[in-house]
Amino acid sequence: MARVLTVPAGRVQPNLTLLGWGGVTFVGALLLPWHRPGRDLFTFVAEATGLALAPSSPVILAILMLAAAAALTGLLPRPEAVRGRAAVFAGAAGALLTIGYTVAARRPFSGAEVAAVLGFLSVLGTGLALTGVLRVDAFLAGSILWVTVFVMIFILYPLWAVLQAAVVVKGQLTLAVVIDTLTSPGFLLVNNPATPRNETAMAATVGGIAAIFVATVGAVRRRPVRRIVGWTLGAGIGAGLFAALYLGYGALRNSVLLAVIVGVCATGLGFVFALLAERSRLRTRRLLGPFSILPIITPPFVLGLAMIYLFGRRGFVTHGLLGLSTSVFFGPVGVAVAQILAFAPIAYLVLEGVVQAMDAALEEAAETLGASRWYVLRTVVWPLARPGIANAFLLVAIESLADFGNPIILGGGKGFLATEVFYAIIGRFNPNEAAVYGVVLLGMTLSIFLIQRYWLGRASYVTVTGKPSGASPRPLPAALDLTATAVFVLWAVLILALYGSVFVGSVTKLWGFDYSFTLKHLRDLSPQGWNVFWTTTKLSAYAAIPSTLLGFLIGYLVTRTEFPGRTALEFSSMLSFAVPGTVMGIGYILAFNQGALLLTGTSVIIILAFVFRNMPVGIRSGVAAIHQIDRSLEEASTMLRANSALTLWRIVIPLVRSALLSGLVFAFVRAMTAVSQVIFLITPQHNLATTQILSYIEYGSQGRGAALASLLTVFMVLVILVLYLVNRRLDIGAARELAQT
Amino acid sequence: MNGRGPEPGAAIPVRLERVTKRFGRVLAVDDVTLEIPAGLLVTLLGPSGCGKTTTLRMIAGLEHPTSGRVFIGDEDVTPLPASNRSVTMVFQSYALFPHLTVFENVAYGLRITKVRDAALRAQVGAVLELVGLPQVGERYPAQLSGGQQQRVALARALVMKPKVLLFDEPLSNLDAKLRKRVRAEIRDLQQRLGISTIYVTHDQTEALALSDVIVVMHLGHVEQVGSPFDLYRKPATRFVADFIGEANLLPGRYAEGMVTVGPYTFAFRQEGVHAGAVTVVARPETVQVATAGQGLPGTVRSAFFMGTTIDYLIETPIGEVSASAPPRVTGMLPVGSDVRLQFAEAGLYLLTEDGR
Repeated sequence: MARVLTVPAGRVQPNLTLLGWGGVTFVGALLLPWHRPGRDLFTFVAEATGLALAPSSPVILAILMLAAAAALTGLLPRPEAVRGRAAVFAGAAGALLTIGYTVAARRPFSGAEVAAVLGFLSVLGTGLALTGVLRVDAFLAGSILWVTVFVMIFILYPLWAVLQAAVVVKGQLTLAVVIDTLTSPGFLLVNNPATPRNETAMAATVGGIAAIFVATVGAVRRRPVRRIVGWTLGAGIGAGLFAALYLGYGALRNSVLLAVIVGVCATGLGFVFALLAERSRLRTRRLLGPFSILPIITPPFVLGLAMIYLFGRRGFVTHGLLGLSTSVFFGPVGVAVAQILAFAPIAYLVLEGVVQAMDAALEEAAETLGASRWYVLRTVVWPLARPGIANAFLLVAIESLADFGNPIILGGGKGFLATEVFYAIIGRFNPNEAAVYGVVLLGMTLSIFLIQRYWLGRASYVTVTGKPSGASPRPLPAALDLTATAVFVLWAVLILALYGSVFVGSVTKLWGFDYSFTLKHLRDLSPQGWNVFWTTTKLSAYAAIPSTLLGFLIGYLVTRTEFPGRTALEFSSMLSFAVPGTVMGIGYILAFNQGALLLTGTSVIIILAFVFRNMPVGIRSGVAAIHQIDRSLEEASTMLRANSALTLWRIVIPLVRSALLSGLVFAFVRAMTAVSQVIFLITPQHNLATTQILSYIEYGSQGRGAALASLLTVFMVLVILVLYLVNRRLDIGAARELAQT
Repeated sequence: MNGRGPEPGAAIPVRLERVTKRFGRVLAVDDVTLEIPAGLLVTLLGPSGCGKTTTLRMIAGLEHPTSGRVFIGDEDVTPLPASNRSVTMVFQSYALFPHLTVFENVAYGLRITKVRDAALRAQVGAVLELVGLPQVGERYPAQLSGGQQQRVALARALVMKPKVLLFDEPLSNLDAKLRKRVRAEIRDLQQRLGISTIYVTHDQTEALALSDVIVVMHLGHVEQVGSPFDLYRKPATRFVADFIGEANLLPGRYAEGMVTVGPYTFAFRQEGVHAGAVTVVARPETVQVATAGQGLPGTVRSAFFMGTTIDYLIETPIGEVSASAPPRVTGMLPVGSDVRLQFAEAGLYLLTEDGR
């Protein structure tokens, strides 16, 4: 019955992938230059091509031969496993030789290195797939290698450079800078000898009082002894530390205190907003979305600038209306207010998901057991929301620590960690000191990131069953609803007033002195302001595409494939979420300022900074979207002879296109509004809108700063509106496709 | 065939050699060796978690064995990715691409293998007609009923003219009535096309109705391979006896053509069984219930009138025995009646103790 089909041995199809990548590598290494004379990446030096160098350089000759060998392997009439082993050898040897040559030559890399490294990695990936070492096909294997190399060069290496600069000064390993910086009063001063009071004693007293109070309460309520001891120690140490910080001085104290206060307030606001959005019976909740997106899509320091306009020494409210001449809001208080207003939406977006995921059936169950709505809120909603609230707090704390724009505009000379990094380089020309500040800041944000990810990740109660109960959300108690709405309206009015003041400021002659109308500032933007605006748009657009695609690809790799080091790759690529922009900035300066990887002073380094800074946005939205797709769709495509590249292109991408588009737009917006990571990287030729606004403000032309900031804000709002409309059309289209008839 | 659809005659076998699959610490498939004959419909049957789907996915190339080899025909396909094996699969969820029309869904694989437009149209049209859906080409999958989606998934797999066709629980999303009809259609189509087919299910009635050969799997290994009739009549292990159909598994002894269960001894001969302890496999429909005479004594605990039969649960000295008796024999016996049970020779099978 069975006529067995045998595959005739020796008739093996040519492997076009190997042939193609080997060929690309060979041509690139032969015709592109291996180094460049200056910073410009795209200079073509005829005497530096492989063709010109090969006769005198045995290494380049070897590289060319390996590339040719890789291409010929594809034509070799041998089984795939044998070709695979040959490709692994050629790819690995070629990539290592290329890297070795580049590092040893100490000359800025050029096109040939890029082509050779990426080409050899693809050959290696194809080989690993053919030999079955990586259980994925050639495209995914190559992608894994590419992504790994990118993450190592553009995320891990700059961080390493910062760590290194903190302890290596002029080639010497020394802890001197670390010790000097950490003991300087600018960093932290607990006991100020210039004041008559003894801060340490006062902090100890506060801690003691808190401990005694908690212990007494615990004893009265007859709690178990072990819990009382724990709570007492916690409260005593916590209160003591907080008091010490409050009484102390220095950048560390300012940043930590700011992060704690902003974290608590912004999270509180965010929780109130989340409850409103999900549970309010009032129409005002519809305004939550549009209002809360505004601070997210504008540079955070726009609010800082507006604070000066409204509440500064000549502020419209403080001076114009109230007749005061106060500088209360010029300093840490102002920074705190600006950050609270700006970061509340971040907490809101996190907590909205948490409140949304809460099963209303639980609350209904509690109510049928006789609980009042307040009681339910206290005993069901709050405990369920607690992990989410901690999560939001930590995210806001990271944002606050990392924020650069508000402290530099409103700080009033008070040092913060993020700004000290800047002043150490720009003001004191001491990159080592900057690195120490950077390491401290990085250590703090990184530990928060780790807590948030690994500790809280397990503590969440949400989505226990995943079974929708169909119960509609319970409305808030009327009193709470009204109070919360009042808080929201107050916040919204403040936000409106602040943004409004920037818009008005851009057409006002001299804010605080002469409020007459003028178009002078807008006119003055030409030509410099407009050029900068155009450069920013261009670079952000260039960065958004690779950033989204790379993020999406990583998201796909970590959710859908298994390979050694997958978790490490996921962790390192998400790392740039936790790395403050200023730290990333000095990392890039330190890493790419000389030698083979010279990139500073070019527009490429700005694009790269954007790409790798915003990649986590793409990863997150990619992972979320891919989880929505039934895995068997991709398997069906594979069974129908499609390789993974085709499956991605024809099945996955069409199904996630609206998520992809959102990711693209947000990567663009984040790049347009970024300040801290690029402030060290800009040059007069490649200035960016945000840094230009900062320098306008710094050099006294606030009006022009306001004009450019307004322009940026309007542009961002328009971009988001277009995204919203396009995505709605996409969704309608998708709905039509999926419609039941 | 009328020249439409895949050509018959190229059926080839599938062979698994000592295949093992681990997921981390979990042993999903444990040293399975299996020969799947060409042109037949073979079912992998077992409870969830028995390794049947993993086995299927290793044949498909969607999972790779931790050790062992997979052969399709004479070719060792173990290192080949799914896209390079001449195998297609119908998924449990159908996995129809929601953003493509029915026509484009079916044409998907042909487009990838670069079939020319005219040939492509002809082939897609023919296969849609083959599955009885010639008019739905321009619709999207969500606009079809469950049964229609199922057939589109089948058409999409057939159009590639696979050497082996795989089914992963294809009927589990259909309602009971439709399931019976589609089951018959699949069987009919497979018979006409003669493609080697491997079908995974946990539903033993489905397996009995469809298969030429059933492979019963349990805890990652193969319990028994055989025709549906053999499995039902001569289960190799207690697990198979229990899983395929309903069965009473009674402790007994065998000696010289005589079987003893509890106080009752009767004549029964089975080749190859040595004297000693045995497990008596008695299907409920072969347990005869009488109110008097010879037999295993017992008391009726419950009685359910099912229409064609009455299902009794009877307590005996060696445990509870279920029996399905035709109502016309005794009428319906009231609960509490004392009865005698006898076993029809045709439905009886003895398992020796090593049958687990």
